[in-house]
Amino acid sequence: MQRRSFLRGLGLVAAASTVVAPNMVMAAEAPKGPNAFTIDAALKAITGGKAVVASPKVHLKAPEIAENGAVVPVTVEVDSPMTDDDYVKAIHIFATKNSNVRCADVMLTPANGAAMFATRIKLGTSQDVMALVETSKGEFLSASQNVKVTIGGCG
Amino acid sequence: MAKRKSLIKIKPKKYTTGDVVKVNFMVMHPMDTGMRKDKKTGKIIPAHYINEVKFFFNDKPITTMTTWESLSTNPVFTLNFKVPGPGELKVIYKDNQGEVNEKSTKIKPKG
Repeated sequence: MQRRSFLRGLGLVAAASTVVAPNMVMAAEAPKGPNAFTIDAALKAITGGKAVVASPKVHLKAPEIAENGAVVPVTVEVDSPMTDDDYVKAIHIFATKNSNVRCADVMLTPANGAAMFATRIKLGTSQDVMALVETSKGEFLSASQNVKVTIGGCG
Repeated sequence: MAKRKSLIKIKPKKYTTGDVVKVNFMVMHPMDTGMRKDKKTGKIIPAHYINEVKFFFNDKPITTMTTWESLSTNPVFTLNFKVPGPGELKVIYKDNQGEVNEKSTKIKPKG
């Protein structure tokens, strides 16, 4: 009887350690950044619940297959006259499966002459890259493209 | 406070007033996400990334950017700029550890 209870106790301890230990390891390896957002929360924070329309005016250029996820070139171009009445206010770039989906918010003015922004981003895994464009009329336009990543670029 | 290497390139090299040129701004910056470990010590490298980039022409703001750690190491920012005349293009950039640097270049339209 004593032996049985002893074993049971041992089992409990083992179970507890297996439950707790992986969590701690995970926490040490992948802490959540202070800016951890999901794509839905990020979109809501920017648009304030307004509808986002996928538009052919927004040209998102990204490679279909990126061998190195640490350097993925992304170019966003928008067809816009960029006059004082009608211009692109902001271009937002998201990586939908990174732990922080927000990559860059670019606030443009009519002084830019043309609505274009290019940069290089890091992608953890294969995922969609999304561009959200805010015009001066209050419209939200978007474009997205899937990028396959061979080697992840985060960590 | 380390001095960062940065570079502003204007393409094409010859332009006149009213032209739309490409402005290419590059910075040497680690852009650490705060999720990577130092291989020697096993400690997590703290997040260190550029979070604000501002472009000015003759002290008038043109473009303001808010950026996060998802940008690549040594990031490049490319945007268009319509040349209104001669002047100075200045870029001020800040990172999350409080570093503030700036870089400027002269805009000299020909003709």
